[in-house]
Amino acid sequence: MTLLKTTFTKGATIALLAGATALSSVSAQAATPMAGETLAADQTYTYRMLDGIPSLDPQIVEDVTGSEIIRDLFEGLTNQDAKGNLIPGVAMSWEASEGNTVYTFNLRKDSKWSNGETVTAGDFVYAWRRAVDPATGSPYSWYMDIMSIVNGADIIAGDKEPSELGVVALDDFTLQVTLTKALPYFADMTAHATTFPTHQATIEKHGSEWTKPENMVGNGAYTLTEWKLKETTTRVRNPLYWDDANTILDKVVTLVISDENVAFTRYKAGEMDRTAVPTGQYPDLAISMPDETFKFPRLCTYYYVFNVSDSAPEAFKDVRVRKALSYAMDRDVIVEKVTKGGQIPAYTYTPGATAGFKVPSVPYGEWSQAERDAKAVELLAEAGYGSDNPLTFELLYNTSEGHKKIAIAVAAMWKQKLGVEATLANEEWKTFLETRNTQSFSIARSGWCGDYNEASTFLDLFDSKHGNNDGLYSNPAYDKEVRAASSSANANAHYTTAEQILADEMPLIPVYHYTGVVMLKPSLKGYPIENVMLKTYSKDMYKIEVK
Amino acid sequence: MFFMNRKKLADVADRLLDQQNIKGRSLWQDAYVRFRKNKAAVTSVVILTIMVLVSFIAPFFAPWDYETIDWNLIGDARAAGQPNIENGHYFGTDNLGRDIFARTLQGTQISLLVGLLGTAVAVVIGLFYGAIAGYFGGRLDNVMMRFVDILMSIPTMFIIIIAMVVFGRSIFLLFLAIGLFAWMDMARIVRGQTLAIKNKEYVEAARSAGVGNIRIITRHIIPNLLGIVVIYTSLLIPGLILTESFISFLGLGIQEPLTSWGALINEGAGQIQYGTPWQLGFPIGFFVVGLYCFLFIGDGLRDALDPK
Amino acid sequence: MLKFIIVRFLSSIPTLLLLIIVSFVLMHLAPGGPFTSEKELPPEVLANINAKYGLDKSWPEQLWNYITSIIFHFDFGPSFKYKDISVNDIIAQGFPITMTYGLWSFFVATTVGIALGITAAVKHNTWIDYFAVGVSIGAQVLPNFIMAPILIIIFTLWLDLLPGGGWNNGAWQNIILPVIALSTSFMASIARLTRGSMLEVLNSNFIRTAKAKGLPARTIIFRHAIKPALLPIMSYLGPAFVGMISGSVVIDIYFSTGGMGQFFVEAALSRDYSLLMGVTILFGVLTIIFSAVVDILYAWLDPKIKL
Repeated sequence: MTLLKTTFTKGATIALLAGATALSSVSAQAATPMAGETLAADQTYTYRMLDGIPSLDPQIVEDVTGSEIIRDLFEGLTNQDAKGNLIPGVAMSWEASEGNTVYTFNLRKDSKWSNGETVTAGDFVYAWRRAVDPATGSPYSWYMDIMSIVNGADIIAGDKEPSELGVVALDDFTLQVTLTKALPYFADMTAHATTFPTHQATIEKHGSEWTKPENMVGNGAYTLTEWKLKETTTRVRNPLYWDDANTILDKVVTLVISDENVAFTRYKAGEMDRTAVPTGQYPDLAISMPDETFKFPRLCTYYYVFNVSDSAPEAFKDVRVRKALSYAMDRDVIVEKVTKGGQIPAYTYTPGATAGFKVPSVPYGEWSQAERDAKAVELLAEAGYGSDNPLTFELLYNTSEGHKKIAIAVAAMWKQKLGVEATLANEEWKTFLETRNTQSFSIARSGWCGDYNEASTFLDLFDSKHGNNDGLYSNPAYDKEVRAASSSANANAHYTTAEQILADEMPLIPVYHYTGVVMLKPSLKGYPIENVMLKTYSKDMYKIEVK
Repeated sequence: MFFMNRKKLADVADRLLDQQNIKGRSLWQDAYVRFRKNKAAVTSVVILTIMVLVSFIAPFFAPWDYETIDWNLIGDARAAGQPNIENGHYFGTDNLGRDIFARTLQGTQISLLVGLLGTAVAVVIGLFYGAIAGYFGGRLDNVMMRFVDILMSIPTMFIIIIAMVVFGRSIFLLFLAIGLFAWMDMARIVRGQTLAIKNKEYVEAARSAGVGNIRIITRHIIPNLLGIVVIYTSLLIPGLILTESFISFLGLGIQEPLTSWGALINEGAGQIQYGTPWQLGFPIGFFVVGLYCFLFIGDGLRDALDPK
Repeated sequence: MLKFIIVRFLSSIPTLLLLIIVSFVLMHLAPGGPFTSEKELPPEVLANINAKYGLDKSWPEQLWNYITSIIFHFDFGPSFKYKDISVNDIIAQGFPITMTYGLWSFFVATTVGIALGITAAVKHNTWIDYFAVGVSIGAQVLPNFIMAPILIIIFTLWLDLLPGGGWNNGAWQNIILPVIALSTSFMASIARLTRGSMLEVLNSNFIRTAKAKGLPARTIIFRHAIKPALLPIMSYLGPAFVGMISGSVVIDIYFSTGGMGQFFVEAALSRDYSLLMGVTILFGVLTIIFSAVVDILYAWLDPKIKL
């Protein structure tokens, strides 16, 4: 089917994703104040959202902010703790059998829907069938596809009925899933919103309006009481939640504030406990408000992709030109002087924060910038470009202050060091996507965030068959490496080779690996900044008195 | 008898028109004399001229150009990018270490051009469209004005996006797009005034004298509209200059490193709480001065053209 | 009058149809669709979504379905971006908000603007005139995207008097800043238009005659001058009114009002076809209604104008 299907099949992750295979009965995480902390009287947690939430339907949600709310309103089989380790949710324990192809989850008997009914295995069966049902039209149904549940792919393609999905309720509290292949970390995937249970009677009664606050029935630690699309959402503590006794925050409020500078003003005025660090302000704020400014690695890479397809400019078919442009880009300046958000300069594609991935060393990453510059000049001259035959091309980016600044700086570096004339061209988002998808560009800004915490989510992108390989890079040796990794016991060796191929052929210029930067009020405790997938749970947070 | 009378009337009207023609020529001269007497307007012309000249000439003498990054100052605008005579950044630098002085001057060229040409497109289309609809009235008016209603309601952004995809980026398209944004309101105002003017005695006299419609519109209607058109135009200009940055946002129009007042003001406005006031102050200063000049020139022109 | 209203009503039907068709075609011609994203969806998944929203059908069929569902069910369909919410709901939630702050802004802008304009014209070339002109230009050169963040810094961060945003069901504290930011530039424009048009009227023959007859200034201004002077302002106020009550992107973005002004831009940028059609049609209907209202006002201000 699609390439996405082949992902998530890596042996190397077994050891790293803790608690995945073993029978697990670790106690659940909950808000646990430290000694000496006095809880605040008002346990309301308010944070800023960039935009209104597209959907609060677990099976349909795609975005990070929506998922964050859904994790409070619904609870899946498993949760994550502050460090990203897997812990029980509705499932108290689980075991894998038949060589990791059959999973059996034992559900807790005290998990309740917000209308008082008990959450059963049947609710999960309903939700999972719903996620793959073409009639649901879920943009995230591909996630169910990579979970490799029997018949999942065929149901999405419309060749089988949703009822044929390989998931059954053995009894009310035992859920059994059959997979098409061995997936040692299958349980980890059940911490994702798409797999959360939904209440059949409610959905059938209200149709697409079932997520309205007055209609919604959930099983999470909070219930939705208010949802004003472009203004605010409010969720309050759900007394029926099985672990309500250990929950501290009473109320969670989100405010939609599109402009990050206004959001920051309002944060300073005390209207919020959490907001994003405004672009470029991290270094200053880390000094002026050190107790509130936090930085954490993220699974995202910013890069420039070359068009190397048949329609590409001649120049970019020459690897020397691509290398010269990559070498001449001073990543330290971009990260320290332009983006100023604590990003990490990138010479390889996959972020170092990815679980189980060791960033391989590539030669040009070890050189000094002066050495890179000298080499770049040499390579470009070899390729036949110089003052008499200057290299000119268009640098495409989508409209945004950040992308613009980087493009300006990069074009200036190229011009100054190599005499290359890069014309800047911005396009509005959807036009930009169309231009990039149809290879109507020379070199384009790109960014990629991992769908899951494993290197293949990045490296598969340059597989010649991948839908997001926008430059149409094609190299059989590379394809062989990334495809071999999925069934190899030592995937990292394949990833290292793959990264080295990318560095040798330079179909893309890695610029930096993202870093998340966030402002948190000192009174807010328990925000999991060490969780790279940013799986937050309000039930694990609390607010304290600050003098 | 009746026929005789009409012919006679037509003769009289023609003679009158000839007279007006002669008078018309001297009318322009009169207007010029009156305009020169208006101190505010003349000063504004002088300031605007200086602004244009400086924006074209000064870059040859300025130590920095609009696109070069000062690598010593990049990324530290607040501490190192202040206006400074010694290092040649008279107006300071932006966050990328580019010279605000040079960028403001470069933006001045673009924005004045946008302001003038974009407005010209809007005024010319709006004036004729509105005058024709208002003068002829009835069904034609209804059709023409419903067309304006449609144009006001359709998402103009798509026209701009599609134009960009089809024709590529060009400054000519930018002016067209800006004119497109703006002529409808002008047309409605002009049409409303025309409805009132066409009932005035002098228009009725001309009509009964058999003067052609086109002539009536150009000779009698439009000159009497100028007052309101001038005022509305001066209201239009600031909006258009700022609209340019929105059109550039969609990908059409000015591309970095070229800039404009709108783009500079936008960028500076985002930084107001981070201690770099010069990034907003200088561009907006130029913008304000430019607008005042346009305004006084507009007022002067109106007074000059309308001897009442 | 009745005939006028009937003619206008009848002519608005083809106008709206044409508006729908043109917008629909433009929308589909623009590159990208509602479901193009950085991460391209697998073709099977995209096919399912397109089928769910009826995008797999031919254009004429989509258009026909769209128009019939509006006419027979008054249903603008589900939003493509905000998947849980229908366009009807989005408009029902957002329009009252923009209408509230829009009406207040309109009220403030017209009363202050017209008063300022008339005063300036009557006291032509005195310091009052210069002051009024100065204020109105000052208000105009300070675009609302600069004014909005400054207002928030002053009133929320420094003075701690007003909330920095949100709507809070239309509490007066939440309305003040949006109204200031939205009405200022309109107020300035209205003042300048009024001043100019008033000056022209005051210099016209019939007012001079009235002055010569020795009528008191107040009678001249309020009986005779004000009506013709307001005529050109009406042409401006019609679209301005529609613009204000349908909201402003800048106001909605900076003050997080939740109003629908932002959807005009956002729906277009995200290619949310159904939402964009919804707000376009709403805006079109308002435009058509208020250009008819303006025409009626013309006839009232100048009885010689025939409807």
